[in-house]
Amino acid sequence: MARFSPFDIQARPNYLLGQALSFVLFVVCLGLYIHTSKARHQENPEDRVVPSAAQLRAGIHSSALEPAEEDDYIAPEGAGKWERFRHSMIWKDTASSGKRFGISLLLFLPAILLALHIGLYPYFNAGFMRFVLFFDKIVALSLLPILIIVFGTDELSKISLIFIGVAPTLILDVIQMVKAVPQEQVVKSFTLGANDFDVTYRVVLKQIMPQIINSLRLNLKPIMLFLFAGEMIAASDGLAYRIAIMRRHMGMDVILPYVLWVALLLFLVDFGLRLVNKRMHPWFQS
Amino acid sequence: MVPVLEMEANALAAAPSSAAGTAIHVDRVTVSYAVGKNTRKVILDEVELEIAAGEFVVVLGETGCGKSTMLRMILGQEQPTAGAIHVAGKTIDRVGASCGYVPQKYSLFPDRTVLGNLMMGPETANYHILGRLKPSFRAFRKAVREQAMKQLERMGLHATDADKYPHQLSGGMQQRVAIAQALMMKPTILLMDEAFSALDPGTRGSLQQMLREIWLETKPTVVFVTHNTAEALFLASRIIVLAKQTGPGRAGAKVALDMRLPETGMSLKKNGQRFLDLVEHIELCSQGFEAAAELTLNFEGNAQ
Ligand SMILES: Nc1ncnc2c1ncn2[C@@H]1O[C@H](COP(=O)(O)OP(=O)(O)O)[C@@H](O)[C@H]1O
Ligand SMILES: [Mg+2]
Repeated sequence: MARFSPFDIQARPNYLLGQALSFVLFVVCLGLYIHTSKARHQENPEDRVVPSAAQLRAGIHSSALEPAEEDDYIAPEGAGKWERFRHSMIWKDTASSGKRFGISLLLFLPAILLALHIGLYPYFNAGFMRFVLFFDKIVALSLLPILIIVFGTDELSKISLIFIGVAPTLILDVIQMVKAVPQEQVVKSFTLGANDFDVTYRVVLKQIMPQIINSLRLNLKPIMLFLFAGEMIAASDGLAYRIAIMRRHMGMDVILPYVLWVALLLFLVDFGLRLVNKRMHPWFQS
Repeated sequence: MVPVLEMEANALAAAPSSAAGTAIHVDRVTVSYAVGKNTRKVILDEVELEIAAGEFVVVLGETGCGKSTMLRMILGQEQPTAGAIHVAGKTIDRVGASCGYVPQKYSLFPDRTVLGNLMMGPETANYHILGRLKPSFRAFRKAVREQAMKQLERMGLHATDADKYPHQLSGGMQQRVAIAQALMMKPTILLMDEAFSALDPGTRGSLQQMLREIWLETKPTVVFVTHNTAEALFLASRIIVLAKQTGPGRAGAKVALDMRLPETGMSLKKNGQRFLDLVEHIELCSQGFEAAAELTLNFEGNAQ
């Protein structure tokens, strides 16, 4: 049995101990939560700040199986769980946040292609580089009022906030990747009879594709940050809108499930992208 | 020093008299790069060189003397500050498919299998992206694939390697594939920059042997850059030594020695002392332009 020696760099904890240790903090948090909740409920059975298990269950139930307050959908007699989930509050919020997320991902495609050209073509570099560098310095959130004035509070202002917030970083990142492709590869392609199109899309883009996907994975957090900022300030639906609304009536029983739901969704997107990378680019070693 | 020079008699006497078709003409090429505001660093100083079709030219020189720079100019990757490069009579101003190229590193496309790497040249050169929709593309692809498999075998690789990715191959195998990839285009000119320099001696030896056989078979024009004198003597039909000029007010490298070898495929094992003498002579030349010039003068005096 390995000795427990946390301040030994060369320690060799065995597998089981390592696994057990990795769960300790989760257990501690859960324990603290339950303890606090119990204590508060003894003082005030109606406490909403640290909801009890029953309150949480009710919150999840109402989020996932009942329509949002503002909706007047009434589930037909004997509607199944799936049917009710499809008209529930969390479904509605997830769908509208997901739509914004999806549209901004689509908008990143032309941004990535632009970056590819800036990195490869001297004239593109001359024309765009300084502008991108300038935009990269702008604090996107400071533009939100302007966006709201110009586009109103509809979708466009939120999506352009995400785009302005993340695109410059992404573009600069992709330019770096393009520049890091060894010159030998480009020269070799030309000696093999490739034209500019081949070099751009079939040599360079193909080669940096896994890195682009990894960059997107890293940028998921900023994308969510700008999405949530936009939704909290100017929206009438969406995951962050709901969380912000719930704060007003201390709806911790809904907020907590929402937070975990968002974390799960983000994990799944990240996992999906990682899987795509592994499947589509078996040659890539990070 | 005299014996070294004496034995070189016929070698030097045979120097540049290329009548038959000039493949590459390095026409008084000067290359300098801006360093700081008003200064320029001269790398090549009016280098003049005519390479005849079918020659195996090895460019030798110490590290940093401008060998790769010269190759980049011949490739068309960069433009000389002054002078010009002519390949097959045409002035080169961009990279094109007129030369095959094998670099030291990053010579293969990591996202393609060995077979994919070999087939890329003929495919891109003959069919553009839309052309691939043509029915003839399938037959063409099949033919190229067969050709690629043959080429692989000729390079000493197994058919089972065809589906591997470059990172699954050893350095030596990678360079074999890289040469095969260039040869798929049937180039009349092959440019190689330190192509074997990262390999261990054994692998290096077998690749040198293979390259020599390829050259003897099809006689392409080869410009092979290396800093290894023994490698040069084994491969070359002609050795060009680039060396920095050392005199006051002179900068950049010039051709310090231009030598046609009386025979090809020289090695210590085969040529003994003669080989060692040549190595010493060449290395003296590459250590400084002035010294080399003196040596040549001395030699001419002795020869008469
Ligand atoms: N783009 C450049 N800008 C400035 N200096 C350069 C550039 N490219 C090469 N050099 C310099 O030219 C010299 C010769 O380089 P190189 O041709 O790579 O040498 P070799 O291949 O003979 O070892 C080196 O001193 C290098 O620092
Ligand atoms: Mg070099």
